[in-house]
Amino acid sequence: MAMSYGKYVAYRIVNALIILFFATLLSASLFVQLAIVEDKGLVQAQLTQQIQTYVKRHHTQPTQEWIQKLNQSLIHQYKLDVPYWKRVLETTKNTILWRWGSSQSALFGTYDVRKQIEIALPRTILMFTTATVIVILIGIALGVKSAQNPGSYMDRTIAILSMVTTSLPMWWLGMLMILIFCVWLGILPIKLYTTPRITSTIQLLKKMSLPVFTIVLNVFGAWAWTIRNIMIGVLQEDFIMAARAKGVPENKVIYGHALKAAAPPIVTMIIFAMLGSLSGAIITEIIFNWPGMGLLYWQALMSNVITTVMALTYISILLYLVSMILADLLYGWLDPRVRVGAAGSR
Amino acid sequence: MRWVDFKDSVKRFWNDYKREKSGMFGLILLVILIVLAVSAPYLTSPDVPQKWQVGWQTNPKNAPPTWVNRFSSISKAPHLVYSVKDVHITRNSSNGYTTYVLTFAYKNKYYLPPKDVVITGILNNASTPSQNPQMTLWVIRPPERGIKNNTMLLISGYSLPSNYTFQLSSSQDAKLNFLFWLYKNGAFKLNNMTPILNAQMLRLYLTMNNTLMQTMGTVDLVRALMGQLVNKSTGKFVPLTLINNVPGLEGLYTFKVYITAPQGVKLNFNHMKIYFVGRTYGILGTDQMGRPIAVGLLWGTRVALAIGISVSVTSVLLGIFIGVTSAYLGGWKDELIQRFTEFMASLPLLPMLILLSLWIASRSAAQSSKITLWQLVAIMVIFGWMGTEKIARSMALQIKEQTYVEAARALGAGTGRIVFKHIVPQLLPYAFASMALSVPGAILAEAGLSFLNLTSQNMVSWGRMLNNAYNNGATVNGYWWQVIPPGLAIAIVGFVFVLIGVSLDKVLNPKLRRI
Repeated sequence: MAMSYGKYVAYRIVNALIILFFATLLSASLFVQLAIVEDKGLVQAQLTQQIQTYVKRHHTQPTQEWIQKLNQSLIHQYKLDVPYWKRVLETTKNTILWRWGSSQSALFGTYDVRKQIEIALPRTILMFTTATVIVILIGIALGVKSAQNPGSYMDRTIAILSMVTTSLPMWWLGMLMILIFCVWLGILPIKLYTTPRITSTIQLLKKMSLPVFTIVLNVFGAWAWTIRNIMIGVLQEDFIMAARAKGVPENKVIYGHALKAAAPPIVTMIIFAMLGSLSGAIITEIIFNWPGMGLLYWQALMSNVITTVMALTYISILLYLVSMILADLLYGWLDPRVRVGAAGSR
Repeated sequence: MRWVDFKDSVKRFWNDYKREKSGMFGLILLVILIVLAVSAPYLTSPDVPQKWQVGWQTNPKNAPPTWVNRFSSISKAPHLVYSVKDVHITRNSSNGYTTYVLTFAYKNKYYLPPKDVVITGILNNASTPSQNPQMTLWVIRPPERGIKNNTMLLISGYSLPSNYTFQLSSSQDAKLNFLFWLYKNGAFKLNNMTPILNAQMLRLYLTMNNTLMQTMGTVDLVRALMGQLVNKSTGKFVPLTLINNVPGLEGLYTFKVYITAPQGVKLNFNHMKIYFVGRTYGILGTDQMGRPIAVGLLWGTRVALAIGISVSVTSVLLGIFIGVTSAYLGGWKDELIQRFTEFMASLPLLPMLILLSLWIASRSAAQSSKITLWQLVAIMVIFGWMGTEKIARSMALQIKEQTYVEAARALGAGTGRIVFKHIVPQLLPYAFASMALSVPGAILAEAGLSFLNLTSQNMVSWGRMLNNAYNNGATVNGYWWQVIPPGLAIAIVGFVFVLIGVSLDKVLNPKLRRI
C-alpha cells in the first residue's frame, strides 16, 4: 500500500491544516472567554464613569432609561451582544487569515499587532538562531567524539552534564549568569539587562552575549548526548564495518558514512529547535529584558492585550506544524521506508 | 500473574537495580527528599503556608546567611531571639503602681551590630488606653574611652498596649534621646546656645535644628548606639554625618526596661520575645519580606515532589492507556486518536498553561484568585501525555502481532483481558522509566508558571521564590542567597529523578542498553 511521494506530501499537509484549524479554534474559544471577562469589567467601569460625569454636569442622577440605553450601547460597542460561538468562529477566521487587527494598548511602540511581531521576531531569530547554531556545532563535535570512545572520561562527563542541564531551568541559569558576570565579575554593565532598550548595534551584540551563552550552556549537553546515542547506533551497522574493512580512513568513515546515515534524526532535531525557538522563550527573554517574541507575549498578557496574545499563540502553533511537516517530508525523502510506514499504519 | 511470581520478579529487579551505582545514589537522595518533605511541618511549624504572606515582620529583610561572616572581614550580627528565660525580671509595688524591671544583656562582637531591637508579646489586661502600662528603656553601654556617661535613656513614659510590637530603631523618641545623650557627652556643639536650658527644653531645642533633624531621620540607631563613637587615634567624637558608618563597639550592652502598671492591670511576660534583628539570618538568609529562605526551600520540596510525581505518573499512565487503546482498536479509530494526539502536541505548552490558568482564575468567584495545586496538576497532565502515547502505541502495535497474543485471541480472550494481561504488562518497564524521566519536566513547568505569578500565593514553591527574588531585583542587587538555593533545589530534584530513570531504563529495558 505504498504511497507516492506527492500523495504523501499532500496527505501530511492536509492533516496539518486540519490540526491548525482545531488548535486555533481551541485557543480562540479560550481567548474570547478571557476577552468577555475583561470587556465586562471595562463596560462596568465606563458606565460608572459616564454616570459620574453626568452627575457633575447636570447635578442630578440620570434616569434609569438613560443608564439602560448607555449600557446597551456599551455592550454593543464591546460586541458583548454577539453570541459566544459566533465570536469564536470570527476570531478563528481572522487569526488564520492573518488579519490580526490592532491592540487595545501600544506594545513595542505600536498598536498594529503585525508591526509588533515584525519588530519582535527578528530579535528573537537573532538571539536564538545564533545560540542554536552554536549548540548544533558543539553538539555534533562532542557527540561524534564521545561516540567514537564510548565509556571514556569525556563520554561520561557529557552523560552527567546532559543529565544535570536538562533539569536546570534555563531562565534560572540566566539569573545566575547575570549575578556572576554583571554583579560579581563586573564584565558586563548591569544596565544592559535592566531595560529592554536597544540603542546601537554594539550594545545589541553585548546584550545578546549573555543570553546566548546561557542558552548554549543549558542545552549543549543534551544535544551532544542525543547525537552520541544516534551515532553509536549507526556505528554498529554492517555498512560501517564493511567500510572499515575496505580500509576507508577512520575520519571518512565517521564524517562521510556514519554522519550521513545519522542525518535524518539530527536534521529533525535541528528543524524543531530552529523553528521552535522562533516563538521565543518567554521567561528567558523576561530575565534578560530581551525585546523579542517572548517578552512581547508577556507584556501583552500583563496589559491584557488579548489580540496580540492570540496572534502569538497562532504563530507558535503554526511554527510547530511547519516543523512537523518539514521533518516528515525530509524523513520521507531521506528514508523511503517511512512513507510506507505512514501509509501502512492506516 | 501469581503472587509468588510477582515477588520473585520484584526481587530480581531489585538485585539488578542494586548494582546501578548512580541509580542507588538517586534513590538515597530521593528518600532524603521525601523525609524532608514529610517532616517540614515538624521542623518548622505547620502554619507556614497560611502565614507565608504576612507574619515575618520581626525578621530582617534581605539578610544574607550567617555563615558569610566566615568569608568576610566585616562581621555582621546574626539574628537573635530572647524569650522570657533570657530576661531577668523583678517586681516592685509602691503607691498603687507596680513596676517591673526587665534586665537583659546583649554581647556585641560584630563590626555591624544588629539592625534593630524589637520587643513583642507583653500582654496586659488594661481595659482603657489610659490604663496602659508605661515603658521606660535604659541602655548601659560598655565603657569607651572619651565617653563620660555610659548610661543612656532612650524611651521614657511610652504607653504600651497589650501585645504591642515595639521597634527601637523606628522610634523618633529614642533617636531624639540618643542625640541628646550625644550632646550631653560633648559629641557636638550648638551655636547660639543659652546654657541655662533644662533637659526638657534642650530636647525641644534640638528638634529645631535642621541639620540635627536630618541626621535623626537617617540615623541607623542601633548601629550608632552600639558603635565606636570616639575615633581611637584622635580621641575625638565621630562627626554626626559619619555616624552611620562607625564600626561596632565590642562588649556587653545591658538593657533595662521599666514597665509601670497602675493597680489592677496585670502583665504577662510568658509570651514575650525580644529580637535583636540581625544583619544576617540563619543558614540561608531571608527575602524582602523577612521570610527565611531555608523554610521556603523546605516547604517547596513538598510542592515539587507532589507536582512532579503526580503529574508524571498520571500523564504516563494516561499516555499508555490511550496509546494501547489506539493500537488495539486500529483502523479509523486509531487514525482519529493519532490526529487528536498531534493536535494536542501542536499546542504550545507554556502559552496554553498560561491561558488555561488565567481562564480558571477568571471563572472562580473571588477576584485575583489563582489556580490551586490540583488544578495545576490536571492541566499539566492534559498537556503532558502525548510523548508517551506515541511510543506506547508503536510498542503495542509490535506486541499485538506477536503469536502469543494471537493465541490468546484464538482461545477466546476478550479485549480487556488481552490489553491488560498481555499488552500493558509488556509496557510497564518502559512506563516506570519514563515516569521517573518526566518528573523534571513537570517541576520545570510548575516553576515557570509560578515564576510568572500564575499559581496560588499560598503555595510555597521554588518557582514562586524565584519570582519573588526577581521582583526584588535580587540578581541586580546581588542577593545571591535568594536566587541560587531555589534553582539548585529544582536542579537537584530533577537530577535525582533523571538518575533513577536512567538506571530503571537500563535494568528494565536491557534491549536498549547501550554499551
